[in-house]
Amino acid sequence: MSRKIIALLLSAMLVMFSAVGCSKEKKQEEFDANADFETIVEQAKGSTVRFYGWGGDEQRNKWLDTVVAPELKEKYDITLERVPMDIDQILAKLSGEKQAGEEKGSIDMIWINGENFYSAKENGLLFGPFADKLPNFKKNIDENSEEIQKDFGYPIEGYEAPYGKAQIVFINDSAVTPEAPKNTAELMEYAKKYKGKVTYPALPDFTGSAFVRNVIYDIVGYEQFMDMEADKATVKAAIEPALEYLRELNPYLWNEGKTFPAASTEQDNMFADGELALSMSYSPYSVALSIEDGLYPQTARAFQFEKGTIGNTNYIAIAANSPNKAAAMVAINEIMSAKLQASQFSVLKALPVVEYSKLTDDEKAMFDKVDIGKGAIPQDELLSKRLPEMPAKLVPIIEEIWAEEVVGK
Amino acid sequence: MARLYGKVSKALGNNHIMRKLEPYVLLLPFMLLGLLFFLGIGNALLQSLGYIPALGLSELTLSYYREILQKPALLDSVKVSLAIALVSSVLATVLGVLLCAAMVHTGIAGGWRLQAIKLPILVPHMVVALFAVTFMSQNGLLARTLYQLGLLGSQGDFPQLLYDKNNAGIIIAYLWKEIPFVAYFVLALMSSVSSTLGEAAENLGASRLRTFFHITLPLSMPAVKKAFLIIFAFAFGAYELPFLLGATLPKALPVQAYVEYVNPDLRHRPYAMAMNSIMLLLTLAISAVYYWLLRKDFKGTGGGQYEK
Amino acid sequence: MKNKRSLFHKIIVYTAILSIAAPIMVLLLWSFASRWAWPKLLPEGFSLRAFDELFGPHSPVMPVLLSSMGISLGVAVLSAAIGTITARAIALYDFWGKELVSFGSILPIIVPGTAFAMGIHVVFIRLGLADTVLGVMLVHIIYALPYTVNIMLDVTRLVGDTHEVQSRVLGVSPSRTFIHVSLPQLMPGIMSSISMAYIISFSQYFLTLMIGGGSVKTFAVMMVPFIQSGDRTISSAYSLLFLASTAAVFIMIEALIKRFAFWRDKTE
Repeated sequence: MSRKIIALLLSAMLVMFSAVGCSKEKKQEEFDANADFETIVEQAKGSTVRFYGWGGDEQRNKWLDTVVAPELKEKYDITLERVPMDIDQILAKLSGEKQAGEEKGSIDMIWINGENFYSAKENGLLFGPFADKLPNFKKNIDENSEEIQKDFGYPIEGYEAPYGKAQIVFINDSAVTPEAPKNTAELMEYAKKYKGKVTYPALPDFTGSAFVRNVIYDIVGYEQFMDMEADKATVKAAIEPALEYLRELNPYLWNEGKTFPAASTEQDNMFADGELALSMSYSPYSVALSIEDGLYPQTARAFQFEKGTIGNTNYIAIAANSPNKAAAMVAINEIMSAKLQASQFSVLKALPVVEYSKLTDDEKAMFDKVDIGKGAIPQDELLSKRLPEMPAKLVPIIEEIWAEEVVGK
Repeated sequence: MARLYGKVSKALGNNHIMRKLEPYVLLLPFMLLGLLFFLGIGNALLQSLGYIPALGLSELTLSYYREILQKPALLDSVKVSLAIALVSSVLATVLGVLLCAAMVHTGIAGGWRLQAIKLPILVPHMVVALFAVTFMSQNGLLARTLYQLGLLGSQGDFPQLLYDKNNAGIIIAYLWKEIPFVAYFVLALMSSVSSTLGEAAENLGASRLRTFFHITLPLSMPAVKKAFLIIFAFAFGAYELPFLLGATLPKALPVQAYVEYVNPDLRHRPYAMAMNSIMLLLTLAISAVYYWLLRKDFKGTGGGQYEK
Repeated sequence: MKNKRSLFHKIIVYTAILSIAAPIMVLLLWSFASRWAWPKLLPEGFSLRAFDELFGPHSPVMPVLLSSMGISLGVAVLSAAIGTITARAIALYDFWGKELVSFGSILPIIVPGTAFAMGIHVVFIRLGLADTVLGVMLVHIIYALPYTVNIMLDVTRLVGDTHEVQSRVLGVSPSRTFIHVSLPQLMPGIMSSISMAYIISFSQYFLTLMIGGGSVKTFAVMMVPFIQSGDRTISSAYSLLFLASTAAVFIMIEALIKRFAFWRDKTE
């Protein structure tokens, strides 16, 4: 009996092997982004669209599942499927698919910005241009603003659409440390006073990197970087005074600057636990949310440098091999609507990307009544002290220099 | 298909061929999966040589390797990884065998206590990192307990187990997971040996201690040695714990590879792959040496009619 | 003398159990905590955030948990089976390339996960296995084999085949011999293999993500972003659920096997 089984197995293996040799033929009909938006909405009806992005924010996940998805289903009969995946894996998957010649992938929408966008666009992983074809883009967004035209200094050219805004802020507990340093000099004094309780996440963590860039801006200004050559020697010469400052700061930092928290999340936890007196965050209103959740004490508050803190926008892009481009465009369009932007602002306290002055009075009211919560900086003040990001290619260079010139020095 | 089956069936009708074929048939699934595995590795190696046509890199080159090998940071990383892997694996093996022996001798080879000891094996490394920070950081539960007992002045007085070049925290974290792993890995074999040959020896008058060191332990050694190799290789190549609990510099080798991998510039991928290949070569070399030294243990003991 | 030895051994075992239980207890505390600052030994604030995330009406967690358990069980059984027959070949037969195979079985542990995942991804796309449950299961099996093969190798060697030979000599057919003679003897090893393979499959994150491409959602894939984001409340709750479900599976496996063995003895 066992012989028969073996014979069957062997034959099956042989057959399977030959079948596997066949190449995969998957052709996709050409999708025309220039078509009428109504046509695109028609095409999108009944399809499922997948939104890939970081899944570690349970409130955003909930918002996408319980607010955005039902809205899309009801309005356009589109099913939104949220897939948690880190951007580096998303890009790895897309480049793997490109290599294998896979024309019909599984990723539709991607939550992306900055250097990752630059890399994806340069390597042909994204579909576009599409953003300027979306009605809400034309209606609600200030197309001429620097931030909408460029992502980290790199021209977007319609390959991604704005999703939300971020701006780095500092956080401390006013009950524990009444001071709120307004510039790098005051920060040095603060670190000296609360020795061992101040630090920043190790680069290349997103937030740590932004902190260092902010310090650079505060000391040597920001204009020179906007069109600086991406050459290590040039950059190093330009940021030398900031490097000097950071080295000077080291002895007063947590662990005397010999080692830094591996990620901003660690820093946040250390702050919540009282091990650190200062934290920083790219979500300016995370303070309010954290107080609400009971993570931070009631007296925590956010503050900025006088000269401003760096802000950026995050976007949604469409994969080049997305099988549901129509649905993706419709969904992205809807996320830029006043209704969903106001909802994002209200529920997640994420800065909206819509241009206030372009809204109707009804729409403006939706935003006005949002309560930003405890400890947060009012929106107009926050935005008045907002500095642009420097070009994406300079960022890894700065991170490299930091590792060589600052850590443990 | 039917004709194929018929042909194969006829061939198998011959007993002699059947006998010879048996091991290969048994190995078929393993070989097929092995093939897949090597295809994957091969591809990774190609990428490390700079061949990623999807990104416009289509020239085979050793330049990535050259660049990495020239950086002094690489040697530091190798040292760190080796130190962590060696110390944690040796300690874990010794203590694990001890625990296993204790379990066998007290008959706790089953029931809820076995399940309790198995728990750390179930816990993913990232969660272990969470534990490590909760307990061992200067702000951790150990520090707080000492503080409450009046034995500690302030947070800064607690020794730096985490985020420090001594990597003590990482080693302890690995131990928490690996001691139960070794104990469990060896348990099946050790309890079999103990309940059969061990008991026989004791019935013939040997003392418990003698039985253990002369019979039970030596016969369990194949499993012990394998367990050591497995946890060593793993500790050397895993990035989660050194990444979350280690010092900013020097980074362990797998952490360095991971940092290159998540670099948004996709053209950095070959660096990550090259570093991974270097890691692979090192582990391979160590394992090969290990295998060669202990080849007696790894040869089949055979027996039965199927040999020759 | 014997009592002293027993006591010493018992102390070792219970110390181990205690140092394992303590962090698990902390997980439980953190699952319901909002804030736990210096120098408190117990959490200060209470929160049901994690509970809502895991069991709330909008939560996809429970269905994903069940399907992940299914996938991992499948992987476990297949890995144990392949491990058993592979070990059988290595232990009881002599053939060309034997040592290479023996050594090769350890390779997946030695090879860094990211390298393998990235390399095999393209291959799988071409084979049409990317983004499928089958593909994910295959890579999980590849990763579980080093453990199952080697566990079964030791047990197979120990058990040998003398009983089998005797049974065949007495005229029992090969299949009956296997089921009634070899299998019960190999059972402890098989159980170990199934357990080990299950955990390896269930805790895979990177591999599942790369090969599954987000189409195959497992519990680990949902859990890890929260651990990475440093949210202690939610990651503790996820981890507890992870451990509880795995423990439940193990208990179930053990109970099933015991029933099988019990029935076996009865028919003797």
